[in-house]
Amino acid sequence: MAETYPINIWINEERFNSLQNAGLGKLLKEELAGMKVLIVPCTAEQRDKVLQLFPMAKYDAATTKSIELLPKKVKDQIYDMVVKKKSLDVMDDFIKLVEKG
Amino acid sequence: MQYTGHGGKPLVERVITDKAEAKKKIAGLKTMPASRQMATEAIGIAYGFFSPIEGFMKKADVETTCKKMELTDGTIWSIPIVYDISDAEIAQYGLKVGDSVLLTYDGNPLAIFDIEEIYTYDKESMAQDVYGTKEEKHPGVKRTYNYKDKFLGGKITLVNEPKVREPFTPYFLTPRQHRQKFAEKNWIKIVAHQTRNVPHSGHEWLMKHAYIAAHGDSPVEQMETMGKAISGILVNCIVGEKRVGDYIDEAIVLTQDELRKSGYFRADIHMVTMTFWDMRYAGPREAVHHSIIRTNLGLTHHMFGRDHAGVGTYYHSYQAHHLLMSIPKEKLNITPIYVLEWAYCPHCGEVTCIGLCGHWKELQKFSGTKIRSIIMDEVKPTRLIFRPEVFDVVMEASKKYGFGSPFVTQEYLQKAKPAFSIEPL
Repeated sequence: MAETYPINIWINEERFNSLQNAGLGKLLKEELAGMKVLIVPCTAEQRDKVLQLFPMAKYDAATTKSIELLPKKVKDQIYDMVVKKKSLDVMDDFIKLVEKG
Repeated sequence: MQYTGHGGKPLVERVITDKAEAKKKIAGLKTMPASRQMATEAIGIAYGFFSPIEGFMKKADVETTCKKMELTDGTIWSIPIVYDISDAEIAQYGLKVGDSVLLTYDGNPLAIFDIEEIYTYDKESMAQDVYGTKEEKHPGVKRTYNYKDKFLGGKITLVNEPKVREPFTPYFLTPRQHRQKFAEKNWIKIVAHQTRNVPHSGHEWLMKHAYIAAHGDSPVEQMETMGKAISGILVNCIVGEKRVGDYIDEAIVLTQDELRKSGYFRADIHMVTMTFWDMRYAGPREAVHHSIIRTNLGLTHHMFGRDHAGVGTYYHSYQAHHLLMSIPKEKLNITPIYVLEWAYCPHCGEVTCIGLCGHWKELQKFSGTKIRSIIMDEVKPTRLIFRPEVFDVVMEASKKYGFGSPFVTQEYLQKAKPAFSIEPL
């Protein structure tokens, strides 16, 4: 499988219940003593685009190997797209949406 | 009482506490404003955090620090403490060797600087020796390259003590005050936990691990009675220059203290203080510097974990341990405690040391970045990995001090009040 550079969206109880009710619980992974996380994959190209669009974010090459420090409202937008599309494959659509402004 | 500091030398204290005497000493001196960086280090020098250094370094000490990791007298020293200045400033303030100058900060008198030497130093060479790289993206290298082209060396005498603002006020203790506090507590062995982080359970267990290791050959009976402990953990938070994305200092200090207030550590074995120091991210060399500072605070042991004071991928995980191990014991009067990571094991259902647990493939490692990501998403972590009381304090601190964020933002950098100020004398 090609290497991905994911965005981790951490899920609270309310969102966990919504995802379960929408039949999307299978998209969740469990980490750190039961924390639920949506791991949204990005290609290298998408990663670079995200870092360009959101300069406050960084790719953590040293530890998590993921895109970190994205503001909550940005992650909220990605989360909403995952729920709407019922898929984790949303980054092209998300980038287009941001570029359109 | 005279205390002994790093290198077996007397603890440096170059502070005039009598205001009338201070006013007399500074009368008629040329004045020169100090930057926040230089003021912070002048304060550190004067109180003895950097003993045996009595002032900003002269060229020979910088040279031996860079090349041999020691001062000219052979005392171990890893990071140059320098005062940078431009030719234009030298001309503007009419500075020359032999002058005594009054450094000011916030427009008020701070310290007398006896200028003993004005010199140049190759900044690239300094960066390579201290940081092991010349790459400007390393924050310590960038700081070095940003130094102006000349340096002033000479002794510092503080004439006006800093006023530390809330919520930091109770946490700032000088080396002398640290030692007095330890004596009050009857602590014989004290282990340092260096931090610039809000604690997750991994940090908490590192501290417990280090405490047990430091206390290991001591009698245990006293520990059966609350208030009778003879060993302690000092969480010494580094407060200084921040980068966007770091935790705000207020959140760091208050959450560390919350661990004791909420009973995760006994009141008689845990204490939180802070030291003003701009992190250089010098990895192994910074670990040595932290050992020196904590020796001067009167500590007997110092915990070192993975990637101590590192940044990016410049240093390997345990490079700091290896450098410390290479220093003869008699040269560093503090015992390092080397610790492995602690992680959550879903099989054991608990936080455990990765060097002890056999469920190697199942371990879920803590990562500061991951925890920051959880907090940024405003999700309350499970109590096994992050104490709920600590989370509440993080959120309170973000509202009260962080302009809505527990992390440093541009707004915080622009608007947050400095941790200390210098009032009129």
